[in-house]
Amino acid sequence: MTVNNTIAHQRLILSGDRERFKELLRKRLIECGWRDQVRMLCRDVVRENESNNISFDMLVTRVTPRARAAVPDTVKKELLQKIKTHLLTQKDQ
Amino acid sequence: MTTIVSELSMHDLNNKFFEIMQNESNAEDAANFIYESVYEDVALGFLFEFHHGLKTGLTDLIEGEKEDDEGCKMVVSPECDVFGFSVLKKTPDSNCSCPNCERPVSATRFAPHLEKCMGMGRNSSRIASRRIASNSREPTSYAGILSDDEDDADWSGSSMQSERRKRRIRNNNNRKSNKMHNGNRNNNGHHNSDSNDGATYETMSANEKKNLLQQMCGVVSEHTKKLCTRSTRCPQHTEEQRRALRNTVLEPSTPESQTLLTADDAGSPPDSSPSSSCSSSSRKRDRHRGLKNKSKRERNMSPNARD
Repeated sequence: MTVNNTIAHQRLILSGDRERFKELLRKRLIECGWRDQVRMLCRDVVRENESNNISFDMLVTRVTPRARAAVPDTVKKELLQKIKTHLLTQKDQ
Repeated sequence: MTTIVSELSMHDLNNKFFEIMQNESNAEDAANFIYESVYEDVALGFLFEFHHGLKTGLTDLIEGEKEDDEGCKMVVSPECDVFGFSVLKKTPDSNCSCPNCERPVSATRFAPHLEKCMGMGRNSSRIASRRIASNSREPTSYAGILSDDEDDADWSGSSMQSERRKRRIRNNNNRKSNKMHNGNRNNNGHHNSDSNDGATYETMSANEKKNLLQQMCGVVSEHTKKLCTRSTRCPQHTEEQRRALRNTVLEPSTPESQTLLTADDAGSPPDSSPSSSCSSSSRKRDRHRGLKNKSKRERNMSPNARD
């Protein structure tokens, strides 16, 4: 299974379509305000441990779970749908 | 593209891919996997961005200074206002005592109080200056402020009252003329009347009218119903107006006054005319009128001569 996913992923990267999807997701997340929510989470984390200098890994481990849950369902569904149709509509050259 | 560093060649990858995509569930799986990977990238991108801002101080610059929570605490106590200052009443040494009435007055109300108490201030000084001006104007001016009973000439129904007034006016004018034209009094023999400013022509005798009109314009204003007190050449009224007025005023005079008029006119040489300010044109006019009066007198006398 993992091999299959890797194969599909690899092919997407090679065709350059992964960059397209990434850009689309980035745009959608900014549009729906998710980025600002994540910023607020990050600021809370920074304020919590103001004494010790916060590292990037610390930020990721603290913020990522909450950030992932905060992604709107509509955005996630749209992306999944688009990737799937893209994979299925590939023609043999 | 031509060299792929893996055990799978590009051709193999394509083959494998289409093989996998035959199954739709495989495609869905792959989509989930790819989404997770893409999401990781995007989320990490945002986190990197934030961390970079944090470390370089960009975030602080963008968001500005942090608010000081301690700075704006509200004080709740009955003796202080919300800033913690005392709200006790000010001591009464801000009061001033009025120099006129010795009463303590609040500093903010001091100027209005003075205005009322001492009669100072803008309004009252205005009134006072007006009063002074009117007082100084009254004795000299002809058309100055008149007293009430002098003003309503139309109202003079009873002859006695009008008689009294006439006498009084004449006395006034005597005084005035004594003051003003002390030399030029050879024009009228027994009548001492001079210009009469407030009254209309109806209350004057013929001689009074004549003397008056020799000295001033005398045209009756439409608005104020007063006589024009300027010189006989005043620019406000035209020669026609003056002539018409003289005609209408002097026409219905009695024969006796007419004789007086003509006698005066004929007897007095032009240089010793009472109105030294009179222009030659007005003198001419007077002479003309005199001629007219003479002819009238002849007409009046002719029946007597026939008798």
